[in-house]
Amino acid sequence: MNVIELLQDLMNQKIGFLGGRTYGDVLVFLIIIIFSVIIAKIVRINVRRTLKEKVPLTTLNNVEKIVYYGIILIGFIVALPKIGVSLSGLLVAGGILGIVIGFASQTVVSNLISGIFLMIEKPIKVGDGVNINDVSGIVEDIRVLSTTIRTYDGIYVRIPNEKVFSSNIQNYVAHGARRFGYKIGIRYKDDAEKAISIIKDLLGENPFVLKEPSPTIFVEELGESSVNLNIKIWAPSSVWYSVYTEMLWKIKVTLEKEGIEIPFPQRVIWMGNKEG
Amino acid sequence: MFGKYDLDLKIKEKELEIVVEGNKKKKRYYRKKGEEEVEKFIYAKEGNLVICPVEPVNLPKEGVSEYLLVELDKPFVIEPGMKGNFYIKFPVEIGVFLVNRRDVERIDIFTFTKPKYTLYGPPERGVVCRWWKSVFYDEKPELSKLYEGLMKVNFENSYWEWVEIKKIVFRAFDMKLFYNEHAYMYSFLKISGKTVGETAFGSRKPKDMEESIDLYQAKGIKKFEKKFFMEWGFK
Repeated sequence: MNVIELLQDLMNQKIGFLGGRTYGDVLVFLIIIIFSVIIAKIVRINVRRTLKEKVPLTTLNNVEKIVYYGIILIGFIVALPKIGVSLSGLLVAGGILGIVIGFASQTVVSNLISGIFLMIEKPIKVGDGVNINDVSGIVEDIRVLSTTIRTYDGIYVRIPNEKVFSSNIQNYVAHGARRFGYKIGIRYKDDAEKAISIIKDLLGENPFVLKEPSPTIFVEELGESSVNLNIKIWAPSSVWYSVYTEMLWKIKVTLEKEGIEIPFPQRVIWMGNKEG
Repeated sequence: MFGKYDLDLKIKEKELEIVVEGNKKKKRYYRKKGEEEVEKFIYAKEGNLVICPVEPVNLPKEGVSEYLLVELDKPFVIEPGMKGNFYIKFPVEIGVFLVNRRDVERIDIFTFTKPKYTLYGPPERGVVCRWWKSVFYDEKPELSKLYEGLMKVNFENSYWEWVEIKKIVFRAFDMKLFYNEHAYMYSFLKISGKTVGETAFGSRKPKDMEESIDLYQAKGIKKFEKKFFMEWGFK
């Protein structure tokens, strides 16, 4: 008996618990599954290549996932009869099993449904800067069961979609522009109007300090050691942080160059006279 | 300065210097404008260098805006049913591209203008736009060719009231730029309400002008939305 005959015999051997199905059938089942996974991967890569830069990243990710899992599901449905599982039987069994699994996997289902609602409502998109459940960072992916965030320190955080959906979400880039501010104190002897004019000119020079809504600068408080100026700036949401970090130091340097200083806390002490 | 060049050139104009030099295959691209310098190496047997005006929304950082807002130095009021043309200026951004029969690659963008951005509309729904101030001209004005381009605006007030115009917003996606020694665009402004209108661009190439390379097409971005709906007024 040669090897081929041996293999043929093995393939024709029936497997008891699979109701008369042979090893050959199982092999065909596995080949179909593997084949569908390979096809799904190839199609996914091509979908990504074709649609990248043509559709928004979130849509691309969703399309990719639908295509990928859709092809695998089709492969699975095609392969099931090979191991003796009929689709009609599966549906009946699925109904009963569904109830059992439903109870056992409430959290998974809840995450799944939350994930679907997140994809429909779109409070966040891939690439957005967000704060969810006290986790701040960039949204890396919105999956069916969970959302992943890369914190600003580069740490990977996976949040179940149920939590994302029920949490307060702060999306820093949902609107085109956002406002931020500084409080800067100057000495009492400095000219506050001159300081305001210097800061206005400086902000006018920065391309991303928006012209409209225009920055507001005003004397907010006569503090213990300084006259406090309040500065409010609008900038495009996508670049606001670089504007924020750049402008504070520039304001300080420019004010000092113009002879306006930011004072240290100080207290005037009157010394009592012994004879008095 | 705008035009198509072989990969061997030297341009010196005011504070701008562009050089492509090297041997048959390996070349060096060098651009200097004031303090700003860019240097890249090019491996190419054939191909050309195209210098042309591009959609003016890329500097100092790309992706911040897709819109250009031109604010007129003085507002003008249009009678109901009135049609006509006027001219405005727009900021010029200059793109440098490598082209051959198969592909276009952008290697540099620079400008002589000072970019400034603004918001059109309310913060929660408005759009960030590149801001530019222009005088409103009846006739073609004189241009500082590398600094500003000319835009002809064909307007129509189809609303039944007088409408005052102080600013016009254009979508960069839709822009069609042309050039000879200066940059040129032809746009439409259709006013359909006191605070509502639509802007778009003409794509017919004017006589004696070349068509600029479309930056979005060069990036492989498909254009789907074209016209811009001005829903937050003209003031």
